[in-house]
Amino acid sequence: MIFNPIIQRELIGMLRTRKAMLVQVLLVLMFAALVIFRWPSDPTVDLAGNKSQEVFRLFGYGLLTAIIVLVPVFPASSIVREKIRGTLQLLFNSPMSPTSIYAGKTAAVMIFVLLLLALSFPAGAACYVMGGISLVGDVMVLYCLLALVALQFTSLGFLVSSYSSSIDGAIRATYALVMVLTVVTLGPYLVLQGHESFLTDVAEWCRCISPLTAVMEVLGHGDVGSQGLLSVGGTPLRYVILAILSVLICSRWTIGRLNLKIFDRARSAGRITDDLSAEEQLTRSAVWLIDPQRRKAGIGPLSNPVMVKEFRSRRFGRAHWMFRIIFFNILLSVLLIHAILQSATVWKPETLGTYLVLWQIALILLITPSLAAGLISSERESGGWQLLLMTPLSPLRIVVGKLLSVVVTILLVVVATLPAYIMMWQVKPIMLPQIQRVLWCLLFTEIFALAVTFAFSSVFRRTTTATAFSFGSLIMVCIGTLAVWLGRDGPFGQEVVENVLKVNPLATALAAIDAPGFQQYELLPANWYIMGIASAAAFLVLSVQTWRLTRPQ
Amino acid sequence: MSDHEPVVVIDQLTKSYGEFTAVDNVSLTLDRGRILGFIGPNGAGKTTTIKILVGLAKPTSGSASIAGADCVRDARRIKRLVGYMPDTFGSYDNMRVREYLDFFGAAFGIPRKPRLARIAEVMETTNSTYMQDRYVETLSHGMKQRVGIARTLLHDPDVLVFDEPANGLDPEARIEMRELLLRLAEMGKTLIVTSHILPELSRICDQVAIIHQGKLMAFGMLDDILRQLDQHRMIEVQLASTEAMEQAVTLLRESLQAGTEINTSLAEATIRFRTALDETALSQVLAKLVQAGVLVTQFRELQTDLEDAFMTVTRRGESQQATSEAVPVVSNEEETSS
Repeated sequence: MIFNPIIQRELIGMLRTRKAMLVQVLLVLMFAALVIFRWPSDPTVDLAGNKSQEVFRLFGYGLLTAIIVLVPVFPASSIVREKIRGTLQLLFNSPMSPTSIYAGKTAAVMIFVLLLLALSFPAGAACYVMGGISLVGDVMVLYCLLALVALQFTSLGFLVSSYSSSIDGAIRATYALVMVLTVVTLGPYLVLQGHESFLTDVAEWCRCISPLTAVMEVLGHGDVGSQGLLSVGGTPLRYVILAILSVLICSRWTIGRLNLKIFDRARSAGRITDDLSAEEQLTRSAVWLIDPQRRKAGIGPLSNPVMVKEFRSRRFGRAHWMFRIIFFNILLSVLLIHAILQSATVWKPETLGTYLVLWQIALILLITPSLAAGLISSERESGGWQLLLMTPLSPLRIVVGKLLSVVVTILLVVVATLPAYIMMWQVKPIMLPQIQRVLWCLLFTEIFALAVTFAFSSVFRRTTTATAFSFGSLIMVCIGTLAVWLGRDGPFGQEVVENVLKVNPLATALAAIDAPGFQQYELLPANWYIMGIASAAAFLVLSVQTWRLTRPQ
Repeated sequence: MSDHEPVVVIDQLTKSYGEFTAVDNVSLTLDRGRILGFIGPNGAGKTTTIKILVGLAKPTSGSASIAGADCVRDARRIKRLVGYMPDTFGSYDNMRVREYLDFFGAAFGIPRKPRLARIAEVMETTNSTYMQDRYVETLSHGMKQRVGIARTLLHDPDVLVFDEPANGLDPEARIEMRELLLRLAEMGKTLIVTSHILPELSRICDQVAIIHQGKLMAFGMLDDILRQLDQHRMIEVQLASTEAMEQAVTLLRESLQAGTEINTSLAEATIRFRTALDETALSQVLAKLVQAGVLVTQFRELQTDLEDAFMTVTRRGESQQATSEAVPVVSNEEETSS
């Protein structure tokens, strides 16, 4: 196994990158800072080890965040990159079996992850030395759990990569699935907890798919979103069972795909509805409403051609896809309205508002980088940028067209979820100022996400890097900073938590809607100022880069 | 504008990136309706010159203009005057050919109705109408090249610049490409074509520019260049057997100018050398061989083609670079120098 040539090639390749170096240095600095700043300076001895546990929790969440942010990008890009470069075909022509290819790739990623985890050993040891935590029961269990999380994401990333046709597409899909696994799986239980039903049992198992519940329990933080209700313990064990199961399924599935059939891709013959008979055209119109195979009219005189091009060249940018996404969001919104009306006594509008905010921010965080990370970088990669520069379109028109293509999509999607707010306002008119604040928060979040992602797209030549940096930074801002919030009862005080959360648009929106756990923080208008300044800085970077890229070399 | 009025004028163009000079004092002119074959090995400076010409790069010194529009100062006008097809296609996913052309037509500000008519016209010209509903990313390389040319024709430019249009094409597609380029020249377009496939170029080009290590090594009408290179014509001596090969080479070395490169092929029993000797001197060389008892079955001059010209010029460039500055071969008919 250790002589598997893929391990050496992939691992050395990974370690040679500046990205890997940066990741390692940052992790070491982060953990060193954690220990230096939280090392007890009080001469009195804390027999219960509360302080040490507080540091340990923070350390654990930091490691989990690092794994969520850093790990998926490596497996997600691995198989598809080889497929595009043609080296996968060479591997298939070698005597290596699909299993050994897969094992080599997995081992390479896992060795890299273990190396990253090893960088945190000094900080972990420092937590242990502080006392109050057990080496086997706490530290070792946490590391084993995190290694399993990494393995779970790795196998998922490889599976997605084997189905993808572009590297950035694979990264987008993997991050989206990681978010679904980590956060969305908690949703059903949040809604159904407290009821005695089969669905509740399913929801309880469903939330155990998320590594968050298991890590929280190991860190002694109890259960996420339990709303004070007693949940069944043993989530780490359930998580281990489900994670191993998912690793086995994903691995088997991916190995099954590692053969020459992976290159089989039916080429579209260019079927067009306009060439079909009248009856067939009518049937298709009835089924599709907007037929994706109908010949498009030319770009209108008032439309920005770049915007139309972006919509047309995007997989989910076509009108029929937009309608599907909007319809799904309207449906969800209606379901929430129904929940408010049916169980106004059980479900407070604030609670439903919390879910709504989470859903909308999740949509913004997932969709914006997916759409905007390749706006300029993919053009540069494909050679389209040169062609755009050869047209009389001004740089401003190009950038505006690209911006509009994202803004219009996000607006349509987010607006589709708004009816629930109207109903919330009808049920509890006093909530109007809160709702208004949330809507402003959503707007600022979107502007921030768009500005940052678009700036990355202009800075990096490769869409893969732009996508990874966009997701990474948005996750760090919106989820990473919540690690400090999790330590609100210690080691961090109210002021520290509040100051850190001021950069977090998700926390601000949750505080604005009075979500449980966020009511005590005054994050407005500071967050709007921060978002505004950060967005302005990102737009400045975008402007400078666009100017650089559009002038003759 | 008359046919002999220069459309493309490059004057003492230099482009440096720090210490490295990618294009070194290149000058050339091209008349309307002509096809210029722009050739050179990889990294010779072809693409950099082209990029300056189409306004994508700025020269360090010198100037370039198309139909009187300066490539730096009149960049907007240049975009209307030039149709540029780079060596990368620049495709967009999930777009059909017609939509792809529609986008570029709209980007050039062609109103919708005439744009649709123009799209039909350029697809007809490039023989790509049948692929109008296909997705661009699913097209074969040859198909993409044709769509790329259709795209450059959309705004009806005067000058077309094609970077390696025949690269990666199969023989049939190459013939089609050649015919298409000739058709475009017949339509009055001025073409600048770079290619590594020299036999293809020699069949379609009126003029040739050979660039090597940033320097213009040869420029002019193809026949003129070949004639100039013929001053150093290639002579082939066919022997009856390989036995006297060594003796023949020794005799040739004595008779020819010092430093003349003599190539031998034992398998074919032939000796080749390039020389500037005239007919009389050559007949004396032959007589010397015969008198020495070397059985010569053939003593003939080989016809130089573009490939030979290219090799001669680039080799000469390399050897002269090692000693002194390269001396370019420039056709007398063209008022250019470098």
